[in-house]
Amino acid sequence: MNKALNQKISQFLDDDLDAGDALDLLQKMQWDADAANTLNRYEAISHALKTNEFLAVSPDFAAKIAEQIQQEPFYLLPGRRPATVSRHKLLALAASVAVIAVLAMRGVNNQAGHTQQPSGLQVAQQPSVQPAKVAAYTRQPAQLQEQYPLNKRINDYLQAHNNSVYTNGGADFAPLTSVTAYRQK
Amino acid sequence: MIVIKCFFLALAVLSTGVLSTGTALGKNSELNAPLAIDALSGKQALLKMTQAMQSLNYQGTVAFLRNGKLEPMKYFHAAHDGVEQERLLSLNSPLREVIRDAGKVSCLYKATQQLVVDHRPFERSFLVDLPNNLDELDAVYSIAVIGEEEIAMLPAYVIAIMPKDQLRYARKIWLDQRQFLPLKVVVYALADGVVLDEALEQLVFTDLEVTGIQPFVDVKKPDPGNPAQDIYKLQAQSPDQAGFIAARLPQGFKEIFFTRRPMHNSGEPVDHLLLSDGLASVSIYMEHKNNAGQSEPSLSKNVQSVGAVNFFSRTLGDFELTVMGEVPAETVKLIAEGITLRHGGD
Repeated sequence: MNKALNQKISQFLDDDLDAGDALDLLQKMQWDADAANTLNRYEAISHALKTNEFLAVSPDFAAKIAEQIQQEPFYLLPGRRPATVSRHKLLALAASVAVIAVLAMRGVNNQAGHTQQPSGLQVAQQPSVQPAKVAAYTRQPAQLQEQYPLNKRINDYLQAHNNSVYTNGGADFAPLTSVTAYRQK
Repeated sequence: MIVIKCFFLALAVLSTGVLSTGTALGKNSELNAPLAIDALSGKQALLKMTQAMQSLNYQGTVAFLRNGKLEPMKYFHAAHDGVEQERLLSLNSPLREVIRDAGKVSCLYKATQQLVVDHRPFERSFLVDLPNNLDELDAVYSIAVIGEEEIAMLPAYVIAIMPKDQLRYARKIWLDQRQFLPLKVVVYALADGVVLDEALEQLVFTDLEVTGIQPFVDVKKPDPGNPAQDIYKLQAQSPDQAGFIAARLPQGFKEIFFTRRPMHNSGEPVDHLLLSDGLASVSIYMEHKNNAGQSEPSLSKNVQSVGAVNFFSRTLGDFELTVMGEVPAETVKLIAEGITLRHGGD
């Protein structure tokens, strides 16, 4: 897995990847299991850091990671440091990651002030977050309606005309279609 | 020598028998056997597609590319005893689940838990809508199988749908050779009768699999504290009740649906007439100028576009008229300029 691919996956999750590259990436996922796993991992990390949804972590989370790392094969290649040192480092790293993840989630949950109920949306994976742009739309709908009355009218027409409003990317619409986002209350 | 001849003769007879059996099997499972391009007409392929889309259970990941934005979504289709359900899950923000049951589309936004219920009796699919009778397309489109390619690592037939005039777009549909499900649909503009390379909009599956069974998913019941936004609860009415007459329609366009209903969160009615040539649809909206609100001068002079959808507005007496559709700019303008008020006053 190269750095460039990881970067693209990260951009894809942030919705920063242009359409052509995103399509290539999605197709690559079909035959590259590593890439697909990386996507899932990044998605989970993104979710943990950015949402206020509670993720239950079992008490033996760190131990399981450590155990899995121990089961990973290692190779005695020339020039490498002794395997025992690497394993210690990996164990420490795994424990650190687990602690950071737990602390981050606690921090987010404390900020929210309560534990959110699981959503009714049936998603295969944990969802990512609303970007700031969409949040801005939903915060002050009335103001935006005043700003773009014409767009609202056209957007209402589009919505009545065909179902493309449901399949359009909504995070960074051109002004004429951005109103789709603030149809939500 | 005679023995050897008899052996080859027997072998030939046996071979013929085996081949015949194979052919018979092929006929029985023709849906699953790829056909040679020569043996398949474009319309046959599209007919198989509509049958497969309605009757099979399948799921995959589909990317919609419209207006320069890519929207990857998980797609599910469930079919049982003639009842269908389509379901889309967005992979990027705003997270939402969209479910189509018969003529109703429900969209649940994850962040706000807002449920939007949209009544759309005139549509059947998020992927591609074709008329029940494909002969309706003959007058205005030519349909042909033009090649074979691979999409999502699946062998596919390429079906070209070419308009016979300049008033609509060209389309290509890539069909999975085994199941005849659409793997990719692209809309192209034309210039002087030549299809332009750049796609106006497209959808493409990056993976698609037919499953034995697909569950029907219940739409989340609206929270009493956060009631569903029930939009466009349509009551089909006679097009004769429209306040306007569309006198200049391009060949093949027919009235599909007319309704008069409130829009823009106001009680003022808007007339909406939906037209279709079987593939492309055009909507005509008419509302009172006061209801339409602030108008932008540039809008009434030029055709505007959002992806493949063009729209054109003009004032007609006390009314604001807008024609919108996934057709070229000259088509919406042509239709708009041919509209008159039913009871005069223009």
